[in-house]
Amino acid sequence: MTTEQTRTHAINMSSLGRDEQKNTSEKEETCIEVKDLNLFYSNKQALYGVNMKMPKKKVTAYIGPSGCGKSTLLRCINRMNDLVDNVRIDGQILLDGENIYAKSVNVADLRRRVGMVFQKPNPFPKSIYENVAYGLRIQGINDRAILDEVVEKSLRGAALWDEMKDRLQDNALGMSGGQQQRLVIARAIAIEPEVILLDEPASALDPISTLKIEELINELKETYTIVIVTHNMQQAARVSDYTAFMYMGELIEFGSTNELFTNPTKKQTEDYITGRYG
Amino acid sequence: MADITHIQKNMSSTLTPAGYYQRWRLIKDTLARHTVVVGGLGIIGAIVLIFFYLLYAVFPLFLPAHSETVASYSVPEKSLGKTLLLAEEEQNEVGVRFTDQGKAVFFAVKTGKTLLNESIALPENTQVTSFAQGDFANGIVVYGLSDGRAVVVSHQYTLSYPNNVRVITPSIDYPLGKEPLLIDNKGKALEKIAFKKGDDVSTFVAKTADQRMILTSFEKKSAMFGEEPTLERIDAELKTPAKDVAYILINKDHNNLYLASSTGLLSYFDIGDKAAPVLKQQINVLEAGSKITSMDFLNGDLSVLVGDSHGVISQWSMIRDAKNQSAMQKLRFFKASENPIIAINPEARRKGFIAVDSTGEVGIYYTTSERELIKESVANAAPVALALSPRANSFLLEGANNQIHVWQVENEHPEISIKSLWQKVWYESHSEPEYIWQSSSASNDFEPKMSLTPLVFGTLKAAFYAMLIATPLALMGAIYTAYFMAPAMRLYVKPGIELMGALPTVILGFLAGLWLAPMVELNLAALFSLLMFLPLSVMLFAYCWQRFLPKDYKEKVPEGWDAAILVPVLLLGAWLSVQLSIPLENLFFNGNMRSWFSHELGIGYDQRNALIVGLAMGFAVIPTIFSIAEDAIFSVPKHLTIGSLALGATPWQTMVRVVLLTASPGIFSAIMIGLGRAIGETMIVLMATGNTPVMDLSVFQGMRTLSANIGVEMPESEVDSTHYRVLFLAALVLFMFTFVFNTLAEVIRQRLRQKYSSL
Repeated sequence: MTTEQTRTHAINMSSLGRDEQKNTSEKEETCIEVKDLNLFYSNKQALYGVNMKMPKKKVTAYIGPSGCGKSTLLRCINRMNDLVDNVRIDGQILLDGENIYAKSVNVADLRRRVGMVFQKPNPFPKSIYENVAYGLRIQGINDRAILDEVVEKSLRGAALWDEMKDRLQDNALGMSGGQQQRLVIARAIAIEPEVILLDEPASALDPISTLKIEELINELKETYTIVIVTHNMQQAARVSDYTAFMYMGELIEFGSTNELFTNPTKKQTEDYITGRYG
Repeated sequence: MADITHIQKNMSSTLTPAGYYQRWRLIKDTLARHTVVVGGLGIIGAIVLIFFYLLYAVFPLFLPAHSETVASYSVPEKSLGKTLLLAEEEQNEVGVRFTDQGKAVFFAVKTGKTLLNESIALPENTQVTSFAQGDFANGIVVYGLSDGRAVVVSHQYTLSYPNNVRVITPSIDYPLGKEPLLIDNKGKALEKIAFKKGDDVSTFVAKTADQRMILTSFEKKSAMFGEEPTLERIDAELKTPAKDVAYILINKDHNNLYLASSTGLLSYFDIGDKAAPVLKQQINVLEAGSKITSMDFLNGDLSVLVGDSHGVISQWSMIRDAKNQSAMQKLRFFKASENPIIAINPEARRKGFIAVDSTGEVGIYYTTSERELIKESVANAAPVALALSPRANSFLLEGANNQIHVWQVENEHPEISIKSLWQKVWYESHSEPEYIWQSSSASNDFEPKMSLTPLVFGTLKAAFYAMLIATPLALMGAIYTAYFMAPAMRLYVKPGIELMGALPTVILGFLAGLWLAPMVELNLAALFSLLMFLPLSVMLFAYCWQRFLPKDYKEKVPEGWDAAILVPVLLLGAWLSVQLSIPLENLFFNGNMRSWFSHELGIGYDQRNALIVGLAMGFAVIPTIFSIAEDAIFSVPKHLTIGSLALGATPWQTMVRVVLLTASPGIFSAIMIGLGRAIGETMIVLMATGNTPVMDLSVFQGMRTLSANIGVEMPESEVDSTHYRVLFLAALVLFMFTFVFNTLAEVIRQRLRQKYSSL
């Protein structure tokens, strides 16, 4: 499919989006805007002309079958794709109206503003305390009082404080998977980003841990704009305000979660959410 | 286990093709498991065997000496006079006693049976007034007579093998002629006498009945044209009160004379000029209240052993001080007994001695190792004469109860003690206690000096300089290659560096010793200039690259290939540094850095030195450290790096705070394995260090390492000798070194891994 076609989709979508959706998206402030984004791995195109606006302090979920490009799109938002060899990106992503692919942008600064949590928990082989303080330390903040405060605040924010307050100096690798994932979230919010990207954050966890993460996401959206990639449609329905369905590198449909799950405008979307393929 | 047998039972009953396969799988699994176990145990077994073999070779060094009584019998031919001297020949079969009646009685050592009775040709109407042993090794004794004359006699043994049985035939001989020599021109009785016979010179020193000390020497002047050599006689009188002189010793070079009074006053004369002996020093060698009760040279005649009435034996030797002045100094002492020391006999080939006190208690001691090897109560009577055999494996003691006691001694390695191996030892004619490795000497007069300290020092020094060069280079290289370098470039660089490790070290050592060492000596300034300007040129280039190069050009270089552009920069930088070194050397170092070092700073320069070893062995160690460290860094899980980058860390911060931390166990073991290699390395240090066992930290001085020492000396050491065993000890030390290092490294590595491993 070409870029033009995708654009048509987007137009269609907005025209079909009905009044409610229009109203909501206008009412809400846009945080991230993706404009005509194409992404190529070597010669293979992985994203085709993606356009979307993600509102502030809401949870946006990307759903779609494996290999549809949802993680790739997510990683574009904090430029983690830069780390992959031979990647070429066309188009723009605006964070608060500013193109993050502009030459003047410092990638490290961008990533400080757009935190990310990965599928597999990846705490550093350091103490719990040092894991959370890491983001501050690399910014040169070593004041013990500040660090203590931030560590506590972040662990509370990630609903870990009560469990871990007596074990702050223990190695983070001794925690359970769910705890590790929440620690990684605490680590991400310690540097007070604007956006938190979650790349299938619960897929490696047991149901109880998953529930905890989902509760956490609900709390976090008070403060942060959250984008989550998930395989699990129930999860998307549970935690997100908006949902984007992607298929074969294209954004098929984007709208409020309620709308998308109850009344999809596209056949493909409907097929996917009703489980015909995935 | 029960399950498996159950399954096996099931299978044997069915034996379908799948059943066979299952069974075959189990067999293979069991086989593999057992092979691995056998292999592992085999390795452990081999190491333990090596360890125990080394221990087995070293062990006798630390065995105590052993002695036992062989026989004891009454003095043979007692009627022929009182024993003045007892002696044994080389094989410990024939003994001899010289009596005060001028008789030499040869007897079988084992039984005391008289073999031969010789009367020494003493002139009529004279009495024996003094007696001395002239030369232990050649069996020479001297009788001083009442008319001022003296007879020199030697006891000799010829070996023959009739019917393949060894027969030792004793005889006596007169090396200076049968006719007594007139020593005192005034014809007074010789109360005390000392004599040394050399090849050309024979020296007598005697105390006459009228209390003069006279020195008489005979020098053989070989005449030209084949005429008979003539004896030239020189007489001199020592200007010293003779009254108290109780002991007289002349050294074997005929230039030092020691006189001692029983009150402890030791006088040292220089008798190099026989016509004019000079009193050099007088010193009291005793503590107040003691008396000298015996005195003799230690083997080599370099130091005097003084035994006193309180049972203390002290060793005195000529020591040169800082001002190049010689003076007698006490090197050490042995508290041998509570009773007076009656006789001291030095060993003929080593620096040990045997002493006996007034109660007949015999002790064998070794000077440099300061060991008391044997202490036995041999006779229950005051001793009359003591004889240590030439091989120091047997001794005879005649007691006042007219018994001769024969003892056998097993004392193979008296020169080794913990102190002599590891601590400073004060050797004769050294100005102070030192650590010395000098395993062979020109003659028996000097003992092998076997201190392992300089070797251990050399080993650590060589390893230190090698690590100093290898560690930063290898680690930095590993970090760059694993973390920053483009994968395509890494594909060539990593095997390239690992290939360095395939170079045989003998080639490295050869190149280092024969090419690098002379080149560095000639171009010392260039080397230092390289060390200074090469990093500087890289920095400068990097700065210019970042600051002045237009962005378009910069972006043309693919990420991770930056190192490739540095290659020409480095080459150019190296060339410039070398060029620059010539004017710099002229400007600051008077045109020659090496001589400037030695003249201005007083730093000596060995051609083969620690710098060369550092470079060559560093080169050998780099691939080891690089390869292991690179693997460790490269295998740091990507999700950690990405996690750190996603938090806004720069690649450098990520590397320092996450990658290096996570890779630290691997990096640590890389360094330790490199260190182990540097310590055990032999060929490079053998060829490039000069093998001088000195203890000098200077980078311009050589060293000798444990491994090179073993390599150099093992082929020439006699099997089972002390030297041989000490070399094995060196090997054991090396083994323990690497063992301890590796164990320590492994323990620390496991700790690090527990702390930082992440998977």
